This record gives sequence, C-alpha cells and structure tokens, in this order.
Amino acid sequence: MRQEFYKTLMSPVWLVVLLLAVVVPPLLPSYYLHIVILSLVYVALASAWNIVGGMAGQISLAHSLFIGTGAMLSTALLLKLGINMWLGLVISAVISGVMGAMIAWIDFRFRLGHLSFVLITLAFAEMGTVIVEGWDFLGGASGLLLPQDKGDFLAFQFGGGIGAFWVMLVLAIVSILINVAILNAPLGYYLRTIRDNENAARAIGVNILRYKVAAMVISAMLSSVIGTAYVRYLTFADPYLLVSPIIIIEVVLFATVGGLGRAYGPAFGALLLVPLGEILRGKLGGTLPGLHYFIYGVVVIAVILMTPRGLLPLFEKWFSRARPKAATTK
Amino acid sequence: MAEFLQALAQGLLIGSTYGLLALGMGLVYGVSGVVNFSHGDFISLGMFLCLGLYSALALDPYVSLIITVPLMTVIGGLVYWYLLRPMVGHQFLMVVQLTLGLSLVLQNGILMVFGGQPARTPSVVESKLLILGDVVVRVPHVIAFVVSFAMAIGLYIMLRSTDFGRSIRAVHQNAHAAALMGVDVSRVQTLTFALGIGILAIAAALLLPGTPIQPAQGLRYTVITLIVVALGGMTNFVGIMLGGLIIGLSEAYGTIYLSDTLGMLLPYGIFVLIMLFRPQGLTWSSSR
Repeated sequence: MRQEFYKTLMSPVWLVVLLLAVVVPPLLPSYYLHIVILSLVYVALASAWNIVGGMAGQISLAHSLFIGTGAMLSTALLLKLGINMWLGLVISAVISGVMGAMIAWIDFRFRLGHLSFVLITLAFAEMGTVIVEGWDFLGGASGLLLPQDKGDFLAFQFGGGIGAFWVMLVLAIVSILINVAILNAPLGYYLRTIRDNENAARAIGVNILRYKVAAMVISAMLSSVIGTAYVRYLTFADPYLLVSPIIIIEVVLFATVGGLGRAYGPAFGALLLVPLGEILRGKLGGTLPGLHYFIYGVVVIAVILMTPRGLLPLFEKWFSRARPKAATTK
Repeated sequence: MAEFLQALAQGLLIGSTYGLLALGMGLVYGVSGVVNFSHGDFISLGMFLCLGLYSALALDPYVSLIITVPLMTVIGGLVYWYLLRPMVGHQFLMVVQLTLGLSLVLQNGILMVFGGQPARTPSVVESKLLILGDVVVRVPHVIAFVVSFAMAIGLYIMLRSTDFGRSIRAVHQNAHAAALMGVDVSRVQTLTFALGIGILAIAAALLLPGTPIQPAQGLRYTVITLIVVALGGMTNFVGIMLGGLIIGLSEAYGTIYLSDTLGMLLPYGIFVLIMLFRPQGLTWSSSR
C-alpha cells in the first residue's frame, strides 16, 4: 500500500501539475488569481467530501455544517471572545469532528437507507442555517466581518491574494493526498466494501461503525479547516454563502461530475467547473442577471448527459486507449 | 385557545397544499426512482407563469390554470423524455445532479425574465376572510385546502380504477414484469412525470394569492416537498397527505408558541425524529 502511495506521489504527471501550480499563479493578475484560489477551495472541499460521499457512498449534505462551523465559529470566537484564529481553527475542527461522528453514529444505529441519509443530512444542514441566522453570537443573518488581513501569520493572516493562494494550494494538495492515502490503505478498502454491499461487509466482519465514523470525522475536520481558511480569504463571513446547503450541493456537483470515489475525480470536476462559472460570471455578470448561471446550468446538464459516469473515467478511457498498459482500477 | 385553534386551521390549510406538492414527487419517485431536486423550481415556474399572465392579460391566477396546467404538463413530459430518460440505469446521484442543473436553469431563466425583486400576483379572493367564531382564515387557504384534497382523491381514484393508473402501479411494483406484460415503461414514466409537473401548476396557483414570490425560493419548496414525501414513506398517498399536514401544523405552532428560530427548527426536528424512529414513513401498510 505504502509503495502505491509513494509511486503516485512521484509520478511525473503529479510533479508537472504541481510545478505548474507553484510557478504560474503568482504571475497572474489578481482577477485570475482569485479564480485560481476559488478553484483550489472547491478542489479541497470536493476531495474532502469524496472520502464520505465517494468512497463510503454516503451522500452527506451535512457537510455545509462543517464548512460553516469552520468559517463562522472561528470568526465568532475571534471577534466576540478574542480567541486566536489558529486556536479557533482547532476548536471548530474538533466540534465538526464530533458532529460528524454523531451523524455517522445515527446512520449506523438507525441503519438509514441511502435516500433517508441524504434527506436527514439535508435537514441537519437546513437546521444549521436556521441556527446561525437566528443566533447573534455566530453573526445572525448579517454575518461577521473579520479584521483586515495584515499578513500576521501568528494571527492566521496570510496577506490576502498570493498568501491565500499558498494556503489553499497546500490544503488542496493535503486533501487530495489524504484521498490517495486512504484509497491505498485498509480503510479505503473497508469503505468501498461498505459502499458496495453493507450487509456483505458486516457478514465478513468489517466493523462498519468504526470505519463510517473514521471517514466522517476525517472528512468533517478537513472541511472545517478549509472553511476557516476560506473565510480568512473572504474576510466577510457571510452565512448565506458559507452555511447554506447550497455550498455543499455545489461541492457534490463538482465531485459527481468529476468522478466519484476516485482520488482525483472530485478535484478534476472542481478545476473544470469553478473557473467556468467564474469566467461566465465575469463576462456576463454585468449584462442580464441570471444569464451566467443559466448558461452554467445548461453546461452542467450537457456534461452529465454526455458523460453519465463522470468526466475522469471518460478521460481515463481515452488515456488507456492511447496507452493500453495503464491500469484503470476503481 | 383562540390562538391554538387559529394555528390549527392555518396549519391544516397550508399543510394540505404541501401534501399536494409532495404527491407529484411521490408519484414520480414511485414510477421512475427519480428524486427531482428541481421540484421547487417548477413550482416557481408555475407561480411566475401566473404572474406573467396577470401582467399581460390581467388573468386571475385561478383562471390562468387553463393555460399553465397544459403548458407545464408538456414541459414536464419534454424534460423527462429528453433529459431524464437517457439517464435511466445510471447512478442515482447523477440523476439528482442533472435535476440540480435543471434547477439552476429554471431559477435563472425566471430571474432573467422577471428580475429578482419579490413580486405579488393579485387575485379577487386574495384579501377575503372567512370568520368562524374565534378563527379567522383566508379564503385562498380554504380554496387550497378543498382543491388539494379533491385532487388527492381524484388521483387516488385514477390510480385505482383507470388503465393508466393501473399501468402506473404496475411499473411502480415491478418495471420488468410490467414491460413483459406489454406496458410501455418509458411512456408511463414520461406521462407520470408530466402529470407530476401538471399538478405543480395547480399547487402553484393555490399557493400564490397573498404570497410574495421570488426566483430564488425554489430550493426551500424542494426541501419542504422532500421532507413531506419522506414522511409519507415516499410513495404512500395517505402518508404523504398526512406528512403535509404534520409539516404545516408544526410550522404554524412553531411560529406561534416558540421563538422565531426554534419555530423554524421544529419541522426539521420532527422530520429527523420521525425518520429515525419510523423510517418506513407514517403509515403501516405500503399499499396505495
């Protein structure tokens, strides 16, 4: 397993992509840098969600709770109680992890079906939105404004723009590497067994509760940390953007379109769709309200109709046709 | 006490319409296994079509039904045939994502045509009130209640005793066997989807009088509908109507007796509890 992991890490494609990601963006004008940062945020979020949604096959919409906790709670702790945001990040991540463990336990204890799980997590997500909007400590409906980013690293400030880029790049890479590591570790095999046939997994002695909780906790804490970093970049903690279930619905869209359960699928989907959405917004945002989202929606429908299995599997097929030796393991 | 009865009336009246909204989704899910996340946006579409007809021709929402119901039914049929039918047999989540894409298209199409400002569509009955002792109810709500239950009963009879209804039930029970018996499964699924969207056109007109509408409201309606359908055990008719009433009542009581936030949490809390302890839905039998 280890070997697999290091082999992926050392593969030429990875290194080239990494090199490009490190060298090119600092040279970009700020508008394009913003698009790159946003894409990285969603690459990280989609990859984090993939651990639960793709590998374990649990379509959790409750992840907006974790992203929201990471963003709103750490901000509120800083502004209302003066707690350093690094500590806020840790506190939020731990709370997210606990919430994640509880959701996984509920799923296990009540043996929820797929659809029930989707709906219950959606209900949790809606409840989270209502709570944040109704509780002044977390900013209520009007949100919270972080102090200006002066680049003070000890106060969780990275100097905006390029600093935020480095943070997001690290988070995105860590998120993808965790995916690769889990896929090649026993945990990944257990999760896929549970996804493919939970009863069979139980019968051969897989400890379902333990692995479901593990996947959810890892994914929740990662999402929370990304949420904290994202809100630092945005400076304004907007509950409609960060807590509403819409953010997780978007993340699930990227992950699904890219290719669920693969290490790079969700990242691929996000890298394709986020810049598309942003560029459409930039080009058409000032003309007719709604036009850019309209076109975006049409593209999403078209992509899904053309590649119902996700984009990455399709590309892999092309790739393996060109180079028949490449393995296409799932 | 007056407050209690008032909330009871309010909850029952609104809840019946929630039930009607959910019947369409339940039917579609039962026949084709599609969970339509653009459901709420189709409700929006119905509402905004009424608004458009009012601005253009000064039609009352109830009269607009003559135009909106056939139009929405056709749209529903086309959407199923060209967008959802090709996805049959693929991952459940992909189909859900497709309907989410559709939701974006509908929501922003409406935004492009009507703009983002909240709008109201007047109706002759809008401000009429019905006073029964201590309880004051609005006439549009009463109309909604009566029509919703009439529609539910009508659908029930249709499913029970017409050929089309029997073919729907056949596909619901076992699509393979139905196909072997000569039922055109794709056709039944398409017609059911069209029917489900047609019902939404009616529900939209029922909800419309006195309700401010805006293009971004779709997701909220989708979530309410999903919750009601799940409470009803996904395909059980009686259960779905009952689920609608429960959500309507919990909203009404929540906003009267609890603080704003707690009141809004109540329907979701009740939903989660029922789903955990009665995952098969509210009613015992799963026949319809």
